[in-house]
Amino acid sequence: MGRIAGAQAKQKCPSAHPLPTSRVHDFPTLTYAFLPPRLLVVSALLFDFMMPAPAPAPEPAPEPQESLPCNALRQLRASLDGTVAAKLMNATELIHALERKRRDTVLPTTLDALDTLLGGGLPRGKMVELTGRRASGRFSVVLSALAAATSMGEAAVLIDVGDHFDPQLAEENGVDLPRVLWVRPQTMKQAVMAAEMLAATGFQLIVLDAGLAGFTKAGRRAPDASWVRLARAAEAHGTALLISTPWPVTGTASEAVLVAERTRTHWIGQGRSPRLLAGITTDVRLEKHRHMKAGTRATLRFAMADSVDATTGNTPRR
Amino acid sequence: MTRLACLYVPLFPLAARLRSEPELKDDAIAIVEGNGGGAHVIAATRRARTKGIQAGQTLTQARAILPKLIARGRDAECERTAQEALLEVAETFSPRIEDAGDGVVFADVTGLERHFASELDLAKAAIRAADDVALPIRCGIAASKLAARVAAELPKSPTVVDPGKEAEFLAPLPLTRLSPQLDAAATLRRWGLGSIGELANLPESEVASRLGDLGRELHYAARGIDPRPLIPRALPPEFREGMELEWPLVALEPFLFIANAALDRLAKRLEIQGFACKRLELTMNLEPDGFHSRAIDLPAPTRDVKTMLTLLRLDLEKTPPGAPVAGFSIVAHPDRPRRAQLSLFGPSALSPEKLATTIARLVSMLGDDRVGMPVAVDGHLPDRYAIDTFDPPAAPDMKRKPRKSRGVVAARVFRPALPVEVITRENEGTTRITAIHGEGDIDGSVRTCSGPWKIEESWWSATPASNEYWDVELDRGGTYRVYQASTSEWFVDARYE
Repeated sequence: MGRIAGAQAKQKCPSAHPLPTSRVHDFPTLTYAFLPPRLLVVSALLFDFMMPAPAPAPEPAPEPQESLPCNALRQLRASLDGTVAAKLMNATELIHALERKRRDTVLPTTLDALDTLLGGGLPRGKMVELTGRRASGRFSVVLSALAAATSMGEAAVLIDVGDHFDPQLAEENGVDLPRVLWVRPQTMKQAVMAAEMLAATGFQLIVLDAGLAGFTKAGRRAPDASWVRLARAAEAHGTALLISTPWPVTGTASEAVLVAERTRTHWIGQGRSPRLLAGITTDVRLEKHRHMKAGTRATLRFAMADSVDATTGNTPRR
Repeated sequence: MTRLACLYVPLFPLAARLRSEPELKDDAIAIVEGNGGGAHVIAATRRARTKGIQAGQTLTQARAILPKLIARGRDAECERTAQEALLEVAETFSPRIEDAGDGVVFADVTGLERHFASELDLAKAAIRAADDVALPIRCGIAASKLAARVAAELPKSPTVVDPGKEAEFLAPLPLTRLSPQLDAAATLRRWGLGSIGELANLPESEVASRLGDLGRELHYAARGIDPRPLIPRALPPEFREGMELEWPLVALEPFLFIANAALDRLAKRLEIQGFACKRLELTMNLEPDGFHSRAIDLPAPTRDVKTMLTLLRLDLEKTPPGAPVAGFSIVAHPDRPRRAQLSLFGPSALSPEKLATTIARLVSMLGDDRVGMPVAVDGHLPDRYAIDTFDPPAAPDMKRKPRKSRGVVAARVFRPALPVEVITRENEGTTRITAIHGEGDIDGSVRTCSGPWKIEESWWSATPASNEYWDVELDRGGTYRVYQASTSEWFVDARYE
């Protein structure tokens, strides 16, 4: 009885914001579909209270009367106070609400200045491009984004055109290496194809990084249409995409474009005393954003692993 | 009461061949056995039969009747794989099946009435399942193997013999359905017996006294009594597809075209059993003799035909067989696809099956050492790395807050390290790098440098490393890690970024 009721509810209750089928199947819908209707409602109510405060929903779409899962739920909603009834949902509605809520969140890079510039972090389902020549600090941003995502328990992908990634340094930066898939394509075309495949697999953060050497060696740029297709794939699967390249490549497909410039290197020691590399500082400018004012700047500071270790009391590397 | 289903493929050699070459299905095809003048037809398609081609005719006679007749030799490889496919279809209905050979399989279907509305529905489902693996079958269900086999051989399919009605079912059928031996058949014909029922009506002792044990067995069979039990077979450890080619192939593309169809059939068979392929073994029969074998380990269990074909192509391009290919067989070693419980409230977990397929496709596109999990290797020299199979730990049940970034400067490593020319200056016992000349941006005078740091590693081995590292900032921008190897050559191996 419970199984049939749950299955019917799933079929008859399309969400106001339908999701791609592939994503919906990723959720354990049967767990809820197996519950008898009364327990289903109560459990959904409990889960809803366990969740963090919901972000303000855009507009509740008018729900046709016939789409209600069962009479019991309708009657229960009618008998409750409006605020409580709004929190009451069946399994399908709960799954769709969770997915909508997840998409509204961002993936922080935990670099405060950069997160502020982007309105909280890397938006899910969108493509952010970070450009900068030579020692612009791009790669440090890439590692920070990977470290933040993997520390949250998310699996992340680094598509490394030019083969520049150093696992030792990444580990020192806090990247949880077992949660990182390292893909080393040889051309940008392969990199974009790989990113599209991986977005469809369900990775929540994909970083595509191309160094200058790897980029010029790869020679050809990926066609503009492929970036548009990649952006659509990211949107369809809720993937946060960070594209880090020496110069702009994504055109109009990206949600935001950041430019890293005016990098300064800091040394310890003056005059005749020996020098020691202390770190780098880079200015990042918001070149374009679809929903925020462009032109704002932020300064990012990165220190050598030795200096960081000194502050935490760990043994320096050298 | 035991209920047995018989799955029977009529004209099995022909059906097996058409399964491998489905494009010939509508043509006039004959399967022949033997060589030269002794080649004779053993099966023919309906189109050929309507033109007068019959089993037993020599190939010369058949060609005289129908000059455009397409003749194919009997292919043992095709028949073996078709039989395996038939067994796997039967296994989807019952774990107790018996391989009776030549397109015949028995399955114990006792107790399946809870899953199917009737035995007729069960038989229809079996026919549909066999159709999915390109095998046209007939199905009969009865209480004994004999009755099930006779029911399956009837043109009207499926046929279900009600329990206890075996004798009634067999009675009107001609005696040839019992396939008696030639001399016994001649004797029975002399007695004037035409149907199975007429034999069953004779006294058992009288038949036995005249025909011996053979007569007793025939009499039992005529009464629907078959004491032979079902002998279940063990599960195969691998899945195999292949065929003998009509003419040897020397180019890769035509071979891959045929291999694609074989992989497609393998994938369907694996899917039926709920398996994925973790290792492919390809054996090619070469002209004029010899064979060539190779094994391809897949990065993750998958049933994706495109991925398997690409890996096969890459492997064949890397090491061609070196002679024309006259036949092949592909063996798939099965493995259970990965499964995982997904979380509602934690971070989105990856579907293991989807991930496995994606990784396999990436490996086929980029190469097997270019996709995986990065591993930090113990040691002292920078730029040590290894790559391992990507198998991420389970996602946490609840969401976690991100850990604050340590803000460490990253080094963009150059692999291999770039050789450069370095100009140094000695000053009061210390060495300073004043300029670097290399490719691209790595060229110019040095603004600031620090070093050296000497790192020695593997001094106990045959290939010791003893490098002196420097950090240098160029006037034109960019901070690099430079080292002097023990051979006095200079390299840039990373840029701080």
